[in-house]
Amino acid sequence: MRTDAAQAGAIPEALLEPALTVGTVTPGSLDDQVLAFPETKPPRQWYVGLAITLTAMFIGLGFIGYTFVKGIGAWGNTSPVFWAFDIINFVFWVGIGHAGTLISAILFLFRKRWRNAIARFAEAMTIFAVICAVIFPLIHVGRPWLAYWLFPYPNQRALWTNFRSPLLWDVFAVNTYFSVSLMFWYLGLIPDIASMRDRTTSKLRKTIYTILALGWRGAATHWQHYEKAYLLLAGLATGLVLSVHSVVSFDFATSVVPGWHMTIFPPYFVAGAIFAGFAMVVMVLVVVRETMQLKNLITMRHLDVMNKVILAMSCIMGYSYMMEGFTAWYSMNEFLHHGFMNIITGTYGWAGWVTISCNILIPQLLWFKKARASYFWMILVAVGVTIGMWFERFVIIVISLHQDFLPSAWRIYKPTMTDFGVLLGTFGIFFTLVLLFARVLPVIATTEVKAILPDAQPSHHGDDHHA
Amino acid sequence: MPETSYAVLGIFDTPNALMAAIPKARAAKLGAVEAYTPYPIHGIDEALGLRKSPLGGMVLVMGVIGALTALGFQYWISAVDYPIITGGKPIGSWEAFIPIMFEVTVLFATFTAGLGMLFLLNKLPFFGHPVLASKAITGITRDRYVLALEAEDEGFDSTAAAAALRAAGAVEVEVLPAPDRSPFLTSAFILRTLGGIFLACLVAGVAIYSLTKWFPLLKPMVYMQDQPRLNAQKPSAFFKDGHGMQKPVPGTVARGHLPTAVGSQDASANLVNPLPRTPDVFAVGKKVFTTRCEVCHGAVGNGSGSLTSAYGAKAANLQSQQFRDYPDGKIYWAIVNGKNAMPSHAPYLSERERWAVVHYVRALQRAQNAKDEDLKVVAR
Repeated sequence: MRTDAAQAGAIPEALLEPALTVGTVTPGSLDDQVLAFPETKPPRQWYVGLAITLTAMFIGLGFIGYTFVKGIGAWGNTSPVFWAFDIINFVFWVGIGHAGTLISAILFLFRKRWRNAIARFAEAMTIFAVICAVIFPLIHVGRPWLAYWLFPYPNQRALWTNFRSPLLWDVFAVNTYFSVSLMFWYLGLIPDIASMRDRTTSKLRKTIYTILALGWRGAATHWQHYEKAYLLLAGLATGLVLSVHSVVSFDFATSVVPGWHMTIFPPYFVAGAIFAGFAMVVMVLVVVRETMQLKNLITMRHLDVMNKVILAMSCIMGYSYMMEGFTAWYSMNEFLHHGFMNIITGTYGWAGWVTISCNILIPQLLWFKKARASYFWMILVAVGVTIGMWFERFVIIVISLHQDFLPSAWRIYKPTMTDFGVLLGTFGIFFTLVLLFARVLPVIATTEVKAILPDAQPSHHGDDHHA
Repeated sequence: MPETSYAVLGIFDTPNALMAAIPKARAAKLGAVEAYTPYPIHGIDEALGLRKSPLGGMVLVMGVIGALTALGFQYWISAVDYPIITGGKPIGSWEAFIPIMFEVTVLFATFTAGLGMLFLLNKLPFFGHPVLASKAITGITRDRYVLALEAEDEGFDSTAAAAALRAAGAVEVEVLPAPDRSPFLTSAFILRTLGGIFLACLVAGVAIYSLTKWFPLLKPMVYMQDQPRLNAQKPSAFFKDGHGMQKPVPGTVARGHLPTAVGSQDASANLVNPLPRTPDVFAVGKKVFTTRCEVCHGAVGNGSGSLTSAYGAKAANLQSQQFRDYPDGKIYWAIVNGKNAMPSHAPYLSERERWAVVHYVRALQRAQNAKDEDLKVVAR
């Protein structure tokens, strides 16, 4: 279906923007479709999913509890690999979050209207991913109940934090990122929650939604400020999403460890974050689309476009890996040489090859239109990218650390059961939150989708406005 | 009753109909014109004649304040209050402050944009607005477009407003009564709230009391300060005498110390002071005497120290003939082993310090009983 078929005129059909929704969707039918989920009883498969994710979550919480009792010694971290699973998982989860901000902020600034249907879910995934991410630095400090020492506050010890440490930049970056994402998400939710407030019949729901919607009544004077705020937030979040993973990469790049001390790290990390995040969004959206019957709103075109982003990011990653090799060769520095050769031939060489195949080789499948339109291939690529990006951080952190300048200090790192358990636990927390979110809040930003439906905007204004 | 109504809502089915009605409603001049829509409508701001949102300027100002706050805070901490050199850079090098400046700028700007929009400009949360109680609200947040003529003064004519909206094309018209202005803070409500807070405190208190009573050792974390070690001044159940600090085993010799003088005081009479009479030795002796001996024996050794009155026992007058006739060895013995109420000073004084005190006591005795030839020594 073409939205503007009538006025296509001179524009070739191939260049026309395809419809954002499939079939007839009206504002009313959209509400009935999307906002009805929280009002109905969840299907069996939801309970099964929740049982699985809760199990994973409690296993993880158990291992975290074990870490608290036993100390950091419960993990495999030891000299010289003091950073291992904890920081790998931290970088991994923060990265997953980046796709949500990219979709909600950067694509908003670019006026990519297809983003409206998937922005809500992607933003929610951002928040959940950052929650999973912050667990790791907190438990890695060893005494998490003293983690507030990370913040600069006047104290009787007369000590201040070191503002020249990238680790402190991280504290600020991640906290800001979480606050801003939460604010962005909540602002977007307010009109939708107001819709839910006005359609629900249950008294309890009505009370909760009334409080959460803050008395939103859709006044034109309110929408004016609201739209302005949303635009400003999108602009601010755009800068933020580029900065957060850059700051995370500074943790490595500002050190002198061979394999970390590289100027390409910030853009390389940001691209990798968006790459991993999009893979996770594709995976979750395919499941949501199928199980929640949202095929008319989350169309194959959405998945197609997201797969193209994954492909583009994969190419950037390939370039970055080659640059790493080039830097090692061109530096004529034997430590860098050794570090790079470790990635492909060392003890953990297999991890290097998993990274390269999952991140660079498998996503090339997406050059084929058939692969971009097939659940099987896109899920294969998305799972591959998720695994590959986790291993990329493993390669960067563990391979670089386990053999640095001092051969007498070299040691092989072995993760323990606790390491794996905590990782599993964060997956459990993430998907538990995703499942709960899908049941209690609108999974699609109905207000934003309403605004881009055919005939949603006054006709004498439509064309010149989004040109 | 026109004067009791708050507004008249005209309900429209399409955004086009709403936009067409806005100029007509404004021209009627029957009240303030406001629109309620399920999503933002392009061009409605101009149609309603709304002023530009001031949010952009607010965000810019707060963003700049955020940047300056972060720069000032970091500079003050890193260069003024807690100067610390990192990476060999000058303490005031500001380049490393940029990441946090950026983050704080974004944080300030975001909260200004979000909370400023909600609380300052839109005056939310506001749960008592008459439109929220209207029948039309379920349509407003769904798929209806509402144009409202709102009362600006007592002269608002709801019948005329309804007719004007119908004429402008409204499918349906709803007259909103004036909001119920009954007081929110009734005394019953305040009492209930206070009662609720009191009850909550009571429950929380009982719960915390029982938890700590039943699980007194509920310590999930172990602090470094909570160690199973003995403090010197604390009692201990580990030793039979109940003391935390134990005396050394008899015969223990401290590193660098000779064995203490043994035997009776008379037997020590023949010991010879091994130290020469030099200013250094007298300085040591004086320091030890003022630290250890003076409180009882007095500054000149005449037994009138500040402690003697409080202590009860009278300290020996070292200026008396008995002690002036003492051989050095007997004074040394008394220092090491103590005598009568005087405790042993062996644990505190090294061999050299003990003998230095003996020299100093001799000097005190001679100074207090100076003879003519002593003066000659000084004169020379």
